[in-house]
Amino acid sequence: MKKILLRSFEVLILLIWIFPLAWLVITSIQLESDVISSTLRLWPRNPTLENYRKAFGSTQIMHWMANSMTISFSTMILTLVVDAPIAYAFAKIKFRGKEILFWAVMAGMMVPFQVLIIPLYQQFNAFGLVDTLAGAMLPRLAMPVGIFILKQFFEGIPSALEEAAFIDGANRYRIFATIIVPLGKAAMATVIILSFINAWNDFLWPLIVINDTARYTITVGIANFQGTHGTDYALIMSGALIASIPQFIFYAFFRKKIIAGIAMSGIKG
Amino acid sequence: MRTHNRKRAFIAIALIGLMMLSTLWAAGTQEQAKQEGPIEVTFWSLFTGGDGEFFDAMVDEFNRTHTDIVAKTDTVKFDNYYTKLTTALSANNAPDVVVVHQSNLLGYVPRGVFLPLDDLLAKNNAPLDDFVAAPLEAVKYDGKTYALPLDVHALIMYYNIDLFAEAGITKVPQTYAEVIAAAQAVQAKTGAMGLAVDNTTATYKAYTLTRLFMSMLEQQGTSFLNADNSKANFNNVAGEKALKALVDMVQLHKTTPAGLDYDGAVNAFRLGKAAIHFNGVWATGSFEKQADLNFKTAGLPPMLGKPAAWSGSHTLAIPVQRTEDPAKLDAALTFILWMTEHGDMWAKAGHIPTRLSVYEKESFTSLPHRKDYAEAAAFAFAPPATPAWEEVYSTTSDMLEYAVANNQNVKTALQAMETRINNIIASY
Amino acid sequence: MAIPGNKDTRDGIIFALPFLLVYLVFMVFPLGFGLFISFFNWDILSSGAFAGWANYRRLFQDELFFSSLWHTVEFVLITTPVLMVLGFSMALLVTGNSPLRKVSENVFFIPYILSMTVVGTLWAWLMQRDYGLLNQIVRQLGGEPVGWLTNPKQAMWSVGIATYWWTAGFNMILFSAGIKQISKEIYESSQIDGANYFQTLFRITIPLVKPTAALCLILQVIASFNVFGQVYVMTGGGPHGRTRVLTQYIYEAGFRYFKMGYSAAMAYILFLIILVISVIQYAALGKERS
Repeated sequence: MKKILLRSFEVLILLIWIFPLAWLVITSIQLESDVISSTLRLWPRNPTLENYRKAFGSTQIMHWMANSMTISFSTMILTLVVDAPIAYAFAKIKFRGKEILFWAVMAGMMVPFQVLIIPLYQQFNAFGLVDTLAGAMLPRLAMPVGIFILKQFFEGIPSALEEAAFIDGANRYRIFATIIVPLGKAAMATVIILSFINAWNDFLWPLIVINDTARYTITVGIANFQGTHGTDYALIMSGALIASIPQFIFYAFFRKKIIAGIAMSGIKG
Repeated sequence: MRTHNRKRAFIAIALIGLMMLSTLWAAGTQEQAKQEGPIEVTFWSLFTGGDGEFFDAMVDEFNRTHTDIVAKTDTVKFDNYYTKLTTALSANNAPDVVVVHQSNLLGYVPRGVFLPLDDLLAKNNAPLDDFVAAPLEAVKYDGKTYALPLDVHALIMYYNIDLFAEAGITKVPQTYAEVIAAAQAVQAKTGAMGLAVDNTTATYKAYTLTRLFMSMLEQQGTSFLNADNSKANFNNVAGEKALKALVDMVQLHKTTPAGLDYDGAVNAFRLGKAAIHFNGVWATGSFEKQADLNFKTAGLPPMLGKPAAWSGSHTLAIPVQRTEDPAKLDAALTFILWMTEHGDMWAKAGHIPTRLSVYEKESFTSLPHRKDYAEAAAFAFAPPATPAWEEVYSTTSDMLEYAVANNQNVKTALQAMETRINNIIASY
Repeated sequence: MAIPGNKDTRDGIIFALPFLLVYLVFMVFPLGFGLFISFFNWDILSSGAFAGWANYRRLFQDELFFSSLWHTVEFVLITTPVLMVLGFSMALLVTGNSPLRKVSENVFFIPYILSMTVVGTLWAWLMQRDYGLLNQIVRQLGGEPVGWLTNPKQAMWSVGIATYWWTAGFNMILFSAGIKQISKEIYESSQIDGANYFQTLFRITIPLVKPTAALCLILQVIASFNVFGQVYVMTGGGPHGRTRVLTQYIYEAGFRYFKMGYSAAMAYILFLIILVISVIQYAALGKERS
């Protein structure tokens, strides 16, 4: 009896947690006139795909999707390329000033982004990066969250493995490539996944640096579904759902890796 | 076999990577292409939703009718638009033409980022005498013209004919007492909301309170700031009367629900659940789309004296570029003039045209409501011309919202507002 | 570790180099530029005038700065403890023996992959005063509509609720990893001692996940201090500035009011506050560990 009560409680919590998402879908398949009504209706009176037709028909949403893909995949790969070596250095190599350097890098997480906008823009303008996807993506690479996660994980790899390799005459690069990278796969998976999610969700910076509508990212593009004077919730929700679909697919594919990876990095604390 | 597969996978990934790299740095392809053929005029706008649809239709029509110029619009949602514009202007990287609210224009003009248009206008024989005088005057600074007005959008009154009839109201209310009486009559007899005025910030800031407050000051023959816009001018009897009117409609007469936000107010009226609604002319477009809504428009009632209504204006300006290309400037001006000349198309979104010739077009006069509030626009006034306006506007809105929500003593509220506003102006 | 030939310093630098280059160009340099700006009266568009410490001095007389800072602190206080407890409770559920644990893990984590804009607009819609789902339900139950985002007493909590929904799943994963680390024997011996569920929870699980909790806490506090998106999308800082957080004021001062120097000065103060709090946390938690 107690068990049944407990289970029903669990089910209730899960329903509550998932319901906002369900509501997102339900709102998106209605006409605005049906959405704005004062009677509670859990299932739409006239389900319709009109909002989706509008979203796909009258915007460059497929372009935006492709741009977001390009940005997110590039961010994900480049993040790993720059983050893994330094995380290894922090975790395993003793060198002078390491502590200070580590904190200097971690401090990057604490910077309010608003202060970087103008300096970065001036810089990117000088580099010719304004209105390019690269420009929208590059500042993401300087975010040190991935380093933090990787460092935690690399520290857990037994030093005995490295020492044995040293005795066999291997140098650091070999050790990094043949021991650390293969053993750190799970944590690296987490990092690339988190950087994919974060890059996909980036909003303010891409909005500022990209001018051409055809080069918008999906989050920037669908933000325009918000009207100048008045909110069409149904349309906005359809945009939100479209923009999230690749995220869902990505999650479905890498679900195990994400969870295992975050878990592993959390172990050490 | 395994290594073979791996190799292939590696090559595939490398290829995809290369492709991505090339798109990552892809920019300016159009810039190379535009050497020949039509001149491209790039243009930034902040019109989304209903406004955006009408606006894009205009740009399409322009492109259809012009073979020598291609206008290309990129749209950014209103609340991020100025951040993007400012950032781009800081690097002389803005497009050829931009939309700027008249009230924001003065934040930019003293900083020399917009081109004074006088020479260009003279060179192209622009029909300046076809513009309505007031909005054209409002884009001048130190005697120079920095933009051309695309529209005027005044605060007006919308009222629901059916609810008025049901409550037995036969005369369109004019004074504050009449407005409140009508609203109360509707509430008593139909149960609908009397007066839908947003008084709380949610998705949109509750600017309507500030717009009403300013209008009510003008109605009493005074203004929000003093003559040279250097000090607050509302901590006086007129200000007390105006603020009391706002507070009372929520707290005393209870004709407006406390905590109503912009979307809530608009939707209440649109669904026929509110009798009177004060809003800008831009709401007309969405109300007209509502099938069973029977409504009329009128100029903002002269509630506290003579007729006067807050108004804004979307203007079109030309940012200063690193290198000036005369052909491009001419094309930009052609585009701007064409847009203002086709104010009848823009009027479908509710906005009031700025060209006298538009008022004679059949396509404008046949639109319902537009004539009513075009007349009302005669009493429209523009916000004060000061670079501090954006901060003053937003601070005033916050403080009015606070006063209304807390039924604050009007004297205390105005005193606090005056101090804050004077400090802000002094800081510029 | 002992290294033949002792090339550690060289290796350390070489391995750190790729990131450091990126960090230097896209973080350190702009941040330095930002610091420079904070000593100027600069309107972004024309050249500025050197202001010395004026921007920093002005900040102490600006009541809006203090109220915004307070709203940020309030958000940190509202979100951090609840998100920790929520993440931990979820972790207990998904590491327990419930048949629903796999489903739960997905359900709790999925909101985290959504973008802030999506989460913000979705919750703004759910909490819309007149037509939102939550008030529809309240009305159905015979209650008065709640001003979720429009009542000054509730607005910050409402943004908090959306944040709980959005990010609790991330903390859950961290905590469940910590819990899975605890060896089975410890639990078994406690069962033999006749401890009930709650005794085990308080005597074993909670003390042993402390390191995880520490990590979680540091990340959470940093994230909460930098909150911007949810508030900006959901309330726009309203009602009457009641939820305007410091990052929003920084944004407005810089880009809407053309006070870039002042905006940069405020950003630096916020940065310092976060830095100091993180270092204190790290030191305090480090002490506890040793």
